[in-house]
Amino acid sequence: MTAETAPAPTDTPGAFIRQRRMSLGDPLLGWGVRILSWLAFLAIVVMLLDTALHSIKLLEHTSLWDFVTGTAWQPASLVYGALPFIYGTVVTSTIALLIAVPLALGAALLVNEYLPSRAATPVAYGIELLAAVPSVVYGFWGVIVLVPALRVLEEAVAGSPAGQFPLFSGPVPGPSYFAAGVILAIMILPIVTSVARDAMRATPRLQREGALALGATHWETIRHVVLPFARGGIFAGVILGLSRAIGETIAVLFVIGNQPQINASIFAPGYSLPSVIASEFAEANQPFHPEALIGLGVVLFVLSFAVNLLARGVVGRFEAHAGGADVR
Amino acid sequence: MIRLQPQAATLPDQPAVGHTVRSMDAAIDVQHLNAYYGTKQVVRDVTFVARQRAVTAIIGPSGSGKSTVLRSLNRMLEVVPSARIEGKILFHGIDIYGRDIDPAAVRRTIGMVFQQPNPFPTMSIYDNVVAAARFNGLVKGRAQSDELLERCLRQAALWDEVKDSLGKSGASLSGGQQQRLCIARALAVNPEAILMDEPCSALDPIATLQIEQLARDLAQTYAIVIVTHNMQQAARASDDTVFMSVDEQRAGYVVETGPTSQIFTNPTNKTTEDYITGRFG
Amino acid sequence: MLLLCLAAGAIALLPLVLVLFYLLSEGLKAWSPAFLVSPPGGGVTTKGGGALNAIVGTLEMTGLGLAIAAPLGLAVALYVAEYREGRMAVVVRTAVDLVAGIPSIVIGLFVYSIVVVTMGHFSGYAGAIALSLIMLPIIARTSEEMFKIVPRQLREGTMALAMPRWRAIVSVYIPTVATGIVTGIVLAVSRAIGETAPLLFTALGSSFVVTDMNRPMSALPLYMFQNALNIGFPAAVQRAWAAALTLVAIVLLFNVLGRWLASRMLLKGR
Repeated sequence: MTAETAPAPTDTPGAFIRQRRMSLGDPLLGWGVRILSWLAFLAIVVMLLDTALHSIKLLEHTSLWDFVTGTAWQPASLVYGALPFIYGTVVTSTIALLIAVPLALGAALLVNEYLPSRAATPVAYGIELLAAVPSVVYGFWGVIVLVPALRVLEEAVAGSPAGQFPLFSGPVPGPSYFAAGVILAIMILPIVTSVARDAMRATPRLQREGALALGATHWETIRHVVLPFARGGIFAGVILGLSRAIGETIAVLFVIGNQPQINASIFAPGYSLPSVIASEFAEANQPFHPEALIGLGVVLFVLSFAVNLLARGVVGRFEAHAGGADVR
Repeated sequence: MIRLQPQAATLPDQPAVGHTVRSMDAAIDVQHLNAYYGTKQVVRDVTFVARQRAVTAIIGPSGSGKSTVLRSLNRMLEVVPSARIEGKILFHGIDIYGRDIDPAAVRRTIGMVFQQPNPFPTMSIYDNVVAAARFNGLVKGRAQSDELLERCLRQAALWDEVKDSLGKSGASLSGGQQQRLCIARALAVNPEAILMDEPCSALDPIATLQIEQLARDLAQTYAIVIVTHNMQQAARASDDTVFMSVDEQRAGYVVETGPTSQIFTNPTNKTTEDYITGRFG
Repeated sequence: MLLLCLAAGAIALLPLVLVLFYLLSEGLKAWSPAFLVSPPGGGVTTKGGGALNAIVGTLEMTGLGLAIAAPLGLAVALYVAEYREGRMAVVVRTAVDLVAGIPSIVIGLFVYSIVVVTMGHFSGYAGAIALSLIMLPIIARTSEEMFKIVPRQLREGTMALAMPRWRAIVSVYIPTVATGIVTGIVLAVSRAIGETAPLLFTALGSSFVVTDMNRPMSALPLYMFQNALNIGFPAAVQRAWAAALTLVAIVLLFNVLGRWLASRMLLKGR
């Protein structure tokens, strides 16, 4: 295994160091990348502005305040108030979070802490698969299977002493805020679980072992070490779930009942911002009807934008806090 | 004082202690190099000469700026955003940091081999060696590529081992073979000097010896500068040695330079002697 | 506590089981291979008919959408990860990220405002553009993550060999992370195939098998949506179930493909 010598590199040592070579590819790729990126950016900004402009036309008819706080939505009478839909979006999202977050936490703990990995992997995968199902499938399944099943439950509650509260009062036609909340809960469960799992997994082993060495049980370790540490990340997951719930259109459309009203009972039918847009836009013939719907879209955009900013802020803080704490 | 086996001199007349070297021999001439990361000085007033057709070893404890100095020699240091240097580095008399000098040309002329072998994982052995040369326009067409490939793999003492499996992925070789592949790859762009940054620290002892032998063989043609924290390696494989250490401000500086045989058997500086005999570092 | 968590896990998985159960039982009743290749008989209130219009529409619009989103997504990823130019790169990236958070119905409205109103009619092009907006952030984000985990040693290797930067990107970095990029694309396509809302006011839907993208066309989710709304008509319900089964099967296939690809990545990030 001997090395062989090569011919002497050059007669004038150092000559090649003075070379300057043109490489066309570099500016080509560089500018190509820049131009495409800017194009994408511009397209997004233009679309945003254009939509906003379209909706501004509504202000000829209704003031911004009246629009956002108006409780009546009657296109036939040219009355456009956004409040029923804002209300519906808020109520359904809240119900979804109330159902999904505890379930997600429980499932995350189950998969991360309790199950052996042979069982944990399929369970985790199963939960993630929930996210893969298209919303139209959830909606259809929801109206055929879930709504009738929930109706039984809802009627039972409405008929019981709890039905005295306006929150749980009848009548119970079937499609309702509650049904929508349940469907949304199913749909946001995967993301909340996934983020919660990541947050819990990031607990430094050092902390965990420290607690165990002091005689803590498994549950005590979880309660006093893992959960507090993961708090920020879990919160981020909740916000992400909320963001998803706010924007969900089709599934909600099938099960919420499509009544533009404000009703205290969660068993009553209602409407949400995205689903009314989806329902009415194609047939929006009345004057200002399309503009009103686009206006609702702007409200929805602002709402989800705000939640998104919040999510990014929380996620950023969580990652800054957790970074560097991991000891392998 | 420990007497080590003196290295056989490669030139008939030994240069005197220090670095008064005939300028015709100098491949890389480092003059008063200072290096900074931001405001922190990491290398202070480094001056030495790496001779053509010789192996120059840079040794010293960790943190003494050896790698920083090495990376200044082929303008790899400036890739780090906060890094800057002062001083002059001449390659055969040409200032490599000159205004009209293209860093890419410097890196083609002064090649580098790294601590961790880093063959391109998605390329075959063939492509690993030849790709950079092709992209630099040094070879065109299959015939030239084949010729270049064989020449470089032979130079790197790898040809016999891989000549029947040139299509295999570069990452499928052993550590020592990967490192030789990286050397072949560096040779393919026709350098005049080769820098090696602790090339054996990730390798087993047998592969280490092979690389050392390779460095000696390559020194018949190229200027080799090798950074190593392994003193015995420096003693075995190099002609000249630059010994660096860390001062109180945590900046690296040159303690002593000279022929390897002299540094290891009769160092003039007490710090050098302490390091050689293992009293620190 | 373990019991509570077990209960949570079971409840969480219950909907999946139920949905799959109904999909299979109702869907298989209504489905046959002919479903995929026969055109619908007429409107949603007619009997029989297949989903060829939907299949063609999905293929064309998702395909065109990908052709738009993939280069743009890669460009943005390269811009942010490789050509980092301070603030401008951050601005572009933030904009693309925000698109990810926009409800898909609003994206439909956006595209309606710009494309449909300008063109004067609904079209497959508008639908494709809407789908590309859905796919763009996913592709950009996964590709950016991939470029970020290119190891320092690899970069140093290309630099020490004086490779021109574009060569290093095209011939070394991109091939090294190619599997990761493709995984991102597969996930993006999987998402786009299932989206209904962005297509409602862009492609609109059609009972005819349309190949000309300049006209309104159907897509699988749209097809299912329009049939599903007509719960009173058993034939429509049947078609909806068949479409649901098809849709979920396709999406699951992509999902599994994406996971398989992810497991074969050369470089594993976080």
